[in-house]
Amino acid sequence: MIRYVIQRLLIMIPTLIAISAIVFILIQLPPGDYLDSYIAELQSQGEKVDPKKIKFLREQYGFDKPLIEQYFVWAIGMLQGDFGYSFEYGLPVTDVVGDRVFLTFLVSVTTIAFAWIVSFPIGVYSATHQYSWGDYGLTFLGFLGLATPNFLLALVLLYFANVVFGTSIGGLMDPEYIDQPWSFDKVLSVLEHLWIPVVVIGTAGTAEMIRRVRANLLDELQKQYVITARAKGLAPTKVILKYPLRVALNFFVSDVGSLLPGVISGSAIVSVVLSLPTTGPMLLESLRSQDMYLAGSFLMLLATLTVIGVLISDLALAALDPRIRLEGGITR
Amino acid sequence: MTTVDRDNDAPKHYVATGPYDPQSVERLTPEQERYFMAPQWRLIWWKFRRHRLAVVSGAILLAFYLSILISEFLAPYNLHTRHPDFIYAPPQGIHLFHEGEFVGPFVYGFDYRLDMEILKREYTPNTSKPYPLRFFCLGDEYRFWGAIPGRFHFVCPPEDGTFFLLGTDRLGRDMLSRLIYGARISLTIGLLGITISFILAMFFGGIAGYYGGWIDNVIQRMIEVLRSFPHLPLWMTLAAILPVNWSPLFIFLGITLILGLLEWTGLARSVRSKLLSLREEDYATAAMLLGAGPRRIIGRHLLPNFMSYLIASATLAIPGMILGETALSFLGLGLRPPITSWGVLLNEAQNINAVDLYPWLMLPVVPVIIVVLTFNFLGDGLRDAADPYYEGGN
Amino acid sequence: MASCDSRRRSASGFALRALLTFSSIAAVFTYANLASAAKPQMVETPFLAPAVERGELPPVSDRIPDVPSIVRFDQPGRSAGKPGGDLETLMAKPKDVRLMTVYGYARLVAYDEDFNLVPDLLERFEIKEGRIFTLHLRPGHKWSDGAPFTAEDFRYFWEDMSLNEALAPFGPPKPLLVDGERPKFEVIDETTVRFSWSQPNTAFLPALAGAAPLWIYRPSHYLKQFHAAYADPKTLKAMVKETRQRNWAGLHHRRDRQYRFDNPVLPTLQPWYNTTDLPAERFIFVRNPFYHRIDENGHQLPYVDRVIIKIADAKIIPAKTGASETDLQARYIRFDHFTFLKRAEKRHNFDVRLWRTIKGAQVALYPNLNNRDPVWREVLRDVRFRRALSLAIDRHEINQVIYYGLAREGNNSVLEESPLFRPEYRNGWASFDLEKANQLLDEMGLTERDDRGVRLLPDGRPMELIIDTAGESTEETDVLELISDSWLKAGVKLYSRPSQREVFRNRVYAGESLLSIWSGLSNAVPNADTSPAEFAPTEQDQLQWSKFGKYYQTSGQSGVKPDIQGVVDLATLHDAWRHTNDTEERARIWHEILKLHSEQIFTIGVVNGVQRPVVVNNELKNVPEVGVYNWDPGAAFGVYKPDTFWFTEARRKRDQSQ
Repeated sequence: MIRYVIQRLLIMIPTLIAISAIVFILIQLPPGDYLDSYIAELQSQGEKVDPKKIKFLREQYGFDKPLIEQYFVWAIGMLQGDFGYSFEYGLPVTDVVGDRVFLTFLVSVTTIAFAWIVSFPIGVYSATHQYSWGDYGLTFLGFLGLATPNFLLALVLLYFANVVFGTSIGGLMDPEYIDQPWSFDKVLSVLEHLWIPVVVIGTAGTAEMIRRVRANLLDELQKQYVITARAKGLAPTKVILKYPLRVALNFFVSDVGSLLPGVISGSAIVSVVLSLPTTGPMLLESLRSQDMYLAGSFLMLLATLTVIGVLISDLALAALDPRIRLEGGITR
Repeated sequence: MTTVDRDNDAPKHYVATGPYDPQSVERLTPEQERYFMAPQWRLIWWKFRRHRLAVVSGAILLAFYLSILISEFLAPYNLHTRHPDFIYAPPQGIHLFHEGEFVGPFVYGFDYRLDMEILKREYTPNTSKPYPLRFFCLGDEYRFWGAIPGRFHFVCPPEDGTFFLLGTDRLGRDMLSRLIYGARISLTIGLLGITISFILAMFFGGIAGYYGGWIDNVIQRMIEVLRSFPHLPLWMTLAAILPVNWSPLFIFLGITLILGLLEWTGLARSVRSKLLSLREEDYATAAMLLGAGPRRIIGRHLLPNFMSYLIASATLAIPGMILGETALSFLGLGLRPPITSWGVLLNEAQNINAVDLYPWLMLPVVPVIIVVLTFNFLGDGLRDAADPYYEGGN
Repeated sequence: MASCDSRRRSASGFALRALLTFSSIAAVFTYANLASAAKPQMVETPFLAPAVERGELPPVSDRIPDVPSIVRFDQPGRSAGKPGGDLETLMAKPKDVRLMTVYGYARLVAYDEDFNLVPDLLERFEIKEGRIFTLHLRPGHKWSDGAPFTAEDFRYFWEDMSLNEALAPFGPPKPLLVDGERPKFEVIDETTVRFSWSQPNTAFLPALAGAAPLWIYRPSHYLKQFHAAYADPKTLKAMVKETRQRNWAGLHHRRDRQYRFDNPVLPTLQPWYNTTDLPAERFIFVRNPFYHRIDENGHQLPYVDRVIIKIADAKIIPAKTGASETDLQARYIRFDHFTFLKRAEKRHNFDVRLWRTIKGAQVALYPNLNNRDPVWREVLRDVRFRRALSLAIDRHEINQVIYYGLAREGNNSVLEESPLFRPEYRNGWASFDLEKANQLLDEMGLTERDDRGVRLLPDGRPMELIIDTAGESTEETDVLELISDSWLKAGVKLYSRPSQREVFRNRVYAGESLLSIWSGLSNAVPNADTSPAEFAPTEQDQLQWSKFGKYYQTSGQSGVKPDIQGVVDLATLHDAWRHTNDTEERARIWHEILKLHSEQIFTIGVVNGVQRPVVVNNELKNVPEVGVYNWDPGAAFGVYKPDTFWFTEARRKRDQSQ
């Protein structure tokens, strides 16, 4: 086991290096740099920029240095906990991202919880009642969320929440609570706004979850021990709950690692539409304005989270389920 | 189970003259025989049939895909026909009875008024005169698949009337026709994209599973790296580097390629793991002992075995691409007008005006939902059926 | 409809008086705020009263300059109000807070509502021979932190910044140069400075009054701590390191962005100053206690205590506006949101107004005379081709379909409201005449056509005109869709190619685009003394002749020297205009330029005069019913002095209780 852990940890190093190189190439690939997009934005509103001054700014921002040098400055900085500097905000990346992490976490965790709560019973029901109309109907409902383009659903819900409940449009709380200390009213206001993103992002994720609960449970239900238990007259509910369900739920553990980054990037579009103060819109905006260190460090962060997450869930799975072989499957 | 020919005559009451048949007790009924003797694809089909939702979904999808072959014929109007007098016209319902009398399918015309106070074009149906629809008729000119000129339509607007089943947009273009033409782009994007993914997955998954060792390791790491990236930013950056001077067709292919390039990792993993586990099966061992080379084992014995499973997985990946296209369009990075796809149409509906004033602009969401749902059900059905000897779900 | 008509009528009464009259070379003209004679008894602002009581702030009469600027409310519909209330508005990005510099619009010299230049931060200024500018500050005027605003702040800018090699390796800003010549700068006394050149400088005052103005003064008391010549080297070095700048110049530059309003500590002269550090979702601007304007009842302006900027995605700003989540909004809402807003108006407590725009064209096409392709370049440079394209646009249809017939059809030229307007400038080659267009194209020898009826270029390629768009507004794509139908009838096939803003610009600059689409002239109501720079090749971002423009912008160092007679003429005329002081002569030059433009069709305008919705909360007063919404001149709401907008008593109380 220890050897396995060490091996996995060692493999992470080249993976992360490769990721950082790809991230850097990716943020450099689109034509132009931050100044180009900034100037274009100014010009589109009729503001003018002196070309001579642009050259000065380019030097100040370090765009005149060779790419390789820019990469190493960034990569080595990250090792020391310095994620670079956001041009857009004129602040270190960590300061820019900082405030948003908590709300992102809040939205993501609630969303995942929501998706589990919805998909779990549906998955169990449709596995135990395979090919019944109930199975079809519930799966249909679960999949509807996946099938509806999120951004449209978000906009429609937003509008109707305003017309029907008078909820202020967009955001995670009424504007007067922004930057205020937490209070009961503020929590209420957050709850009032939170359900829209949770429903929109959550329903998009339920389909996959339902499918996996159903498939895994179906697998287990065919096993000999279940048939034996049934034959011996164990109550049907107990038959399902005692063992098959537990085994079928292993995948929750194996998925936990990749879940969070997935939810963060998957919810980005919805967050843009809903104007949520989460990291998603900031990531998209930084990519768009080519605020390269902000975008790069963001991507790096998400990728690293995934890599670590996968590692943790692999280890957890190995600990939970001794049947899983640690050494891969190649015997020949 | 045996494949040796047997005498089908039932044994008589006296001692049989024929040779001793050790399996006479386990004789298969014709049903059983049909079952055990059936080729794999037939078994899959039988199993698939049990998933009624999947069968219906398959039929619907087939209809959708057939429709894109003859979009020009199905659409009542040409894609580019504008009606300056009918801007933001609401959907015209089809009626059958006029003043209690059966007239056949017809529509009512519009009375038009421009509300200058709020600058809104108001249309009210004028129920005084029915305009019967024409079927299999001559209407707007088009070039079939951009080549053959024609005018023949399945349904045409009435003589000196209009037929906007789903209303019109801000330039007075018929939404139904735009939807039908948009299907051509949106549906093929999914298929092309998955083909690219599929080829990549077969290649990388195949050599990883086949060669094993360090090649497997490298490919595994590559997949891991790719999977560590959130999809959306990757799409965004890749879409941003498509050269803008490409023609719309190339942009379309480029977007497809991008969608395909990121989707293959999951499939490749299944290819690899299936390949690894099937190699352990007895029949693979048997083939090896009989002296078959690895290539033959993979190509002849292993591949057919999990092909169906792969196809099922691929089917499940298509809706992701269709939705991906709409998401990219939303970000302004995918296809853009004048190309018409469902994503483009939805993006045009993505504003408060559509929600509040012109809700019919959001109708393209309906085919998107239908296609995504049906692909999912079809894929589920296929996956359930893909392993026909196994009675379980997966 | 009736209301719209009356609005249009009052709009045409829009008069533009002469801006600056340089009729006689010898005369010295003094521009002063004549109303500043009687100073009313000052009343302490309730919002600041507690701070005054605690002794943190001096009383109001000590905070305002000795000679404050007294605002009178003599226009109909305006009146003096009471201070108080929070004004909320929506912006799409944190960096949009720079618009508070624009809305605040406190400038040394500013445009008034009739677009005359008047002293604002300055008590008065004198111009001699159009080349010697003497600026008189208000004695006792203070920065928002209470430090005095003096001639030293001008000297710091000129000597320590614009002449400093490290801070400004690119030299002084362009409006301060006349044919490359730097001004002579003198400090006359504590409150008087003088800039003089040997030639008239026509760009100087308009630049000071711009929406994004030329800043020729700095809060020197604050910035000196970042300047190598004044700061302690060790402290400075530590600060540079801490803020991860390359050198002290970078640090100085960061701390000194007056326009961007992103440094809450930077002293300002604007009516409100920012109190919120980036990053934030909600920015709070608080009244400047040392602001220089007062009303006739002795209230210090601004009336509104705080301006609160809420950040929301640009796409949902119209929806939020319709839900009455803003008190004053024009940005991020467009003409096509009018219907939605007007319907929402019935449910909520706001008013949707239509303000006019003064752009030369809402959308205009720019044939790229610097195109790389030699064949296309020749075609685009042929005036017959440009005329034919213009004639083949059905402007009336576009107006009806997209603008409800409310826009005005015509070329990208000066508007009716300009004293320089003549109908032929707007109508030249702007009627819809396919026959004439076809005839012109035939005359050019482009008679060969392919099977689609598309004409062939001289080298046999089909005439497929690809129009670059910045890919941001559906309005542009819609207009192009409409144009493409009628162009096809003239044998020209149009394709639109959407891209992104920066790619769009770069393609034009590099001569890769054939035609591009953008909005027209930014100031289409000039008078004889307004610079005609926009009409002549002067800058790289002129989409029709980017390389010619660059040639003049860089004084011939890069770009391409114009080799088309019309363009050379325009450059010569622009030069002639700059070197004369005589208004009549200038008017004559202007007419020559306009005539040349309408004949040459260097840009193809489609429609102009499209109105813009402005949403105003019913409790917010003094916002004009009908106004002009323009960037420069105009500064969006700036010329209407948002510091004079006030809230009703009910609203003031509500905001106070929160």
